[in-house]
Amino acid sequence: MRQRVGRLLLTYGFWVLMTLLTLIPIWWMFVVSMRSRVELFSRPNLAISRLFLENYSNVLTDSAFQRYMTNSIVVSTSNAVLVMALALLATYALSRYKLTGSDNIFFWLITNRMAPPAAFLLPLFIMFTRTFRIGDWTLFDTQIGLILVYCVFNLPFAIWLLKGVVDGIPIELDDAAMIDGAGLPGVLRHVVIPLAAPGLAVTGILSWVFAWNEYLFAANLTSVEARTITTGLAEFVTVTGTNWGELAAMSMITLIPSAIIVIVAQRYIVMGLTFGAVKE
Amino acid sequence: MKKLFTIVLLLAFALLANMSLVTADMHGWWAEAAAPYAGSTIRGVSESTPPSNYVADVLAAQFTELTGINVEFETTSWDQMYSKAINDMEANTGIYDFVYIEQDIIYSYLAQDYLVNLTQFAADNPDLAYEGYDESAFTSFADYFKNADGDLFGVPMEAFVKVYLYRKDLFEDADIMAAFEEEYGYPLAPAENFDQYRDNAEFFTAYGESMDMDLWGTTVQGSTGHPASTYEFLESIGPSFGLYNWGINLEAGSAQSANGGALDGDTAVEALSFWLSMLPFAPPEATSSTWDEVASSFAAGRAAQGWVYGENAAWIATDESRSAVTGNVGVRLPVTAEGVVEAASMGDGYIGYYDGGAFGVPHSSRNKEATLLWLQFIGQESVQAEWAAAGARITHTATFDDPLIAEQDTKVDGYYTLLEEQGPLFAGAPPFPFHAQVREVIDPFIQRAILGELSPADALSQAAMAVDEELDRLGYGM
Amino acid sequence: MRNPRTGWLLLSPTLIILIVFGFMPFLYVLFVGFHEWNIFAAADGMHFNGLDNFRRLVFDNDFTTSLGLTAKFAVFAIASEVVLGFVLAQMLTRKFPGKSLFRIIHTFPLMVAPIAVGAIWRLLVIPGFGPVPFFLDRWFDLTYQIGTYPDQALWTSVIMDVWHWTPFVTLTMLAGLSSIPREPVEQAKVDGASRLQVFWYVTLPFLRPVLLTTVFIRIMDAIRTVDEVWMLAGGGPGTRFTGIYIWRVVFPKTDYGYGSSISIITLYLTIVLCWLLFIAISGRRKGEVE
Repeated sequence: MRQRVGRLLLTYGFWVLMTLLTLIPIWWMFVVSMRSRVELFSRPNLAISRLFLENYSNVLTDSAFQRYMTNSIVVSTSNAVLVMALALLATYALSRYKLTGSDNIFFWLITNRMAPPAAFLLPLFIMFTRTFRIGDWTLFDTQIGLILVYCVFNLPFAIWLLKGVVDGIPIELDDAAMIDGAGLPGVLRHVVIPLAAPGLAVTGILSWVFAWNEYLFAANLTSVEARTITTGLAEFVTVTGTNWGELAAMSMITLIPSAIIVIVAQRYIVMGLTFGAVKE
Repeated sequence: MKKLFTIVLLLAFALLANMSLVTADMHGWWAEAAAPYAGSTIRGVSESTPPSNYVADVLAAQFTELTGINVEFETTSWDQMYSKAINDMEANTGIYDFVYIEQDIIYSYLAQDYLVNLTQFAADNPDLAYEGYDESAFTSFADYFKNADGDLFGVPMEAFVKVYLYRKDLFEDADIMAAFEEEYGYPLAPAENFDQYRDNAEFFTAYGESMDMDLWGTTVQGSTGHPASTYEFLESIGPSFGLYNWGINLEAGSAQSANGGALDGDTAVEALSFWLSMLPFAPPEATSSTWDEVASSFAAGRAAQGWVYGENAAWIATDESRSAVTGNVGVRLPVTAEGVVEAASMGDGYIGYYDGGAFGVPHSSRNKEATLLWLQFIGQESVQAEWAAAGARITHTATFDDPLIAEQDTKVDGYYTLLEEQGPLFAGAPPFPFHAQVREVIDPFIQRAILGELSPADALSQAAMAVDEELDRLGYGM
Repeated sequence: MRNPRTGWLLLSPTLIILIVFGFMPFLYVLFVGFHEWNIFAAADGMHFNGLDNFRRLVFDNDFTTSLGLTAKFAVFAIASEVVLGFVLAQMLTRKFPGKSLFRIIHTFPLMVAPIAVGAIWRLLVIPGFGPVPFFLDRWFDLTYQIGTYPDQALWTSVIMDVWHWTPFVTLTMLAGLSSIPREPVEQAKVDGASRLQVFWYVTLPFLRPVLLTTVFIRIMDAIRTVDEVWMLAGGGPGTRFTGIYIWRVVFPKTDYGYGSSISIITLYLTIVLCWLLFIAISGRRKGEVE
C-alpha cells in the first residue's frame, strides 16, 4: 500500500513538473499579452500585475483579424476533410489492390513532404498566378489554392498514418460485404470507414493542426482576401517596433480553436493512432 | 538661382491649387477623372509601418469616397514585402498595382525596368494629371526615385534620417555632470566626436552598474541574425568615418583597396573597430537587436545615447504608451569624424543614411490609370501634414512649416528642423543594382566580427573578397 | 474481383494533386538548379551552366556549415523528443486520476503556430525583456545571450523544438503502445523475460511502424524548419540551418539558380537518409507485401 502511494506521488510529481515546463512559455505569452508596451520592457516579472485587455480588444475589433481567422478556419477545416477523404481512398487502393510499383509510390508520396519550402515557393507562385488563370481569376490569394497546396505536405503524412490502420482491417470483412452484394462505395461506407474512424479522426486533426500552423505558403501565396492568421502574426513585426503584446494576444486567441478541436478529439487520438498493429 | 525661383513659383501655385481644393470643384475633378475606373480595385503591398498604416486606414478610405476606386492594401513584414513584390514584378503577374519601394532597392528595380515612369505616364494622360499634385513639391528625398532625366518613378511616402539620440534627463543631471567631469576632466555633453562618444558610453555603463540601474552607455544595432547590423555599419557608422558607398567602387567593380575599393581599407577597419568597441557599453540585447529593438531599448530607458532611426524618434519622445523616456529625448546629428560634415556639405560624401520609401507602379499592373490617380492623391500637398503627424515622416518641403509639425517639432527636440536643414547632409543608399545580393554576402562577416570570431580587419578583408566574387558572378565585376 | 484499374482510380486524385503541386514545382526547381539565374544580375534571364551550381555548393562553407548545424539540431532534438515522448507515453498508459488533464495540457504546445512559438521563445530569451537570462543571471550568475554566443542559440533552438514537438511524439507513441496486444507481453512475462527483454523483443517490434512514421515526420520537418528558428534567432551563426540558408539565398539574395540546386541536394540527402531509416527500422523485406 505504502509503496503504491509513493509511486503515485512520484507520478504526480513528475507530471506536475512536466506540466510546469509545458506551461511556462504559454504562461509567458499570456503575461506578455496582458502588458502594455511600456510595461513589457521593465524588469522581467512572471506575475500579472493588472488586468490590461487593450491588446485583446485591439486584436478582436480589427476587421482584418476577423477575416484572417475565418480564412484559417475555412482553409484548415476544408483541407483536413479533403485530406481525410483522399487519403482514405488512396490508402485503400494501396492496401487492397495489386498496383505495379505501389511500394515505390508509397515512398514517393512521403518525399513530397521533404521539400525545403523556400525554393518551391517561386514555381508555386508562378503556377498560382499564371498557370491557373481563368480570365481575371487566379488561384493566387484564394482559399482553394491554399487548401490544395496544403495537401502536398498533409496527404503524404495522412497516407502514411492511415496505411497501417487500413492494412489492419481484415480483408475478409471486405470480401464478406462484397459477397453480400455491396459495391466499392458500400464496402468503404459500411466496413472501412467505421473501422478506420479513429485513425481517420486523428489524421484529420493532425492535418488540421499542420494546416492551421502553416506560415510560408500562406504568406507567399495569398495577399489580402485569403490571408491566414499566421501571416497576421508576422505583421506585428515592424521597423518601428514589434508589437509583442498584440502578437501574444493574437497567439493566445488562435490557441482557442485548436485547443477545442484537440480536446474534443483527444479520445480519438488515443484510440486512433494504431499504425497497423491489429486491434481486436 | 533660377531653379530656386521656379520652385518658389511652383510652390505658390501648389498652395493656390490647395486652397481651391476646399471647393466642391476639386471634389468634382476626382470623381470625373476617376469615373471610368470607379468600382475597380487597385491593390498594393507595403510594410506595416505607421506611415503605411495611415495610408491603409485613412487615406485609402478618403480616396475611395472621392473616386469610387477601391484600394486593397496588404501590409506585411519587411522580408515578405520584398519577396512578394519582387516575385510579382519578375513573374509579371500583375497582382500589385502599386508596391512599396524602399529607397535602397530602387536602383535594382530601375535596372530591371520594373517600374512605370510616373512623370511620363502623367504627361501621356493629361486627363489624369491632378493639378494639386506637384512633383517639385517633394523634398530632395524624391531625387532618389528619379532617373537621369529627372523623371519620377515613385511617390515618396516616408523619409527619415538616422540621428543621435541622448537622454536629456541624464545628460543634464547636476550630480551626473559633476561625476563625469571629475572622472574625465571635461564637462558632460552630447557627443560631438568619437572619443567623447566613447567616454559617454563608458561613463553611463559604469554609472548604470554602480546604481544597479538597467542603464548602458549606447545602443548598438548589432543583431547577429539579421541584416540590420550590416546596415548600421555600412549606412551609419561607415559614412560617419568617411567610408562611403559600402566601400565599393562601382566603376572598378570592386570592394578591395587594391582595386580602388575601400571596404577593407583603413577607414573601414577604424569604423568597424570603433563600432565593435561600443558593444561592451551596449545593453546585453544589442547582439539580438534589429532596428526596432534598438528603438525599444532606448524607449525603455536602457541606453543613455545611441543611433536611432528618425521614424522612431517621434514616438520615443512623445508616446507615453510605448516609451518610458518621453520628454527627455535629445536629438542631434550623429557623431562624425573630423572633416566628414564639411565634405558632406560640399557634396563630397555624406554623414549617414537618408532612409525612406515610395510607392511605385509596376509595369505588370493592369490598372495603371486608377493607380496613378491614387498615387497623386497621396502625393498631394493637403494630406501631408496629418500624415506626417501620424507617421513621423516628411516628404514635402511645405510640410515642415505646417503648424501641426512645428508643434511636434518642439516635442521631439527639433528633429524635423534637423531633417529640414541638415537632411541634405545625408544620402540615400548607393546606386547599386545589386543591393540585397551584396549585402547578403557581407552579412556573415559583420556578424562574425560582432561575435569576435574575426578581427575587424580580417572580417572586412574577407568580406571585400567575397563581395568581389559576388560582383563577378553577377556580372558587375571588373 | 479487385481490378487494379479501380485501385488506380482511387489513387488518382491524390496522385494528381501531388503531381501538380508537388512534382511539377520539383521539376521546375530541378530545371532552375542547372542554371545561373539571379534576377538582379547584369545579364537577363537564366543561363544554363551545367553542374556549376552543384560544384559551387561543395565548396560553399556556409552550406556545409549549415548542414552540420542542421544535423546537430535534428539529432539532438529528435533523439530527445523520441526518448521523452516514449517515456511520457509509457507513463500515460498507467491509470491514475487526472491523467486526461495532464495529457491535454501536454498537447498544448502542438497547437501553437511555429511562428508564434518562435516569438514566445524570443520573448523568453532575449535579454532586456526575457525572464530566462534575467533569472539565470540573478540566481546562477550565468550569462545567457543568444545573440553573442552561437552555441546558446543552437541549444535554445533544440530546447524550443523539443518543447514544441515532444507532444506529437507522445501522442503517436501512446497510440502505438495502446495498440500492442496484451497476449505476447503476458506470454513473455510468463516465460520469465525481464522487463528490458519484454521491451526489446516484444514492445519495440510492435512500435516499429509508429516509430518509423514519427521519426520520419520529425526528420523532415526538422530539416525544413524555417519559421520557428527564424523568429527566434533570425538564422544567425548558431542557427543558420539549411532551411534558413536556402531561404536567404532564394529571397533576399534572389539567387534562384543556386538556391534551387541547394534545395535539390538537400531534398536528395533527406530522401537518402529516410530511405536508409525506412529499411533499417521497418526491416522491410522483399515480397512482404503480398
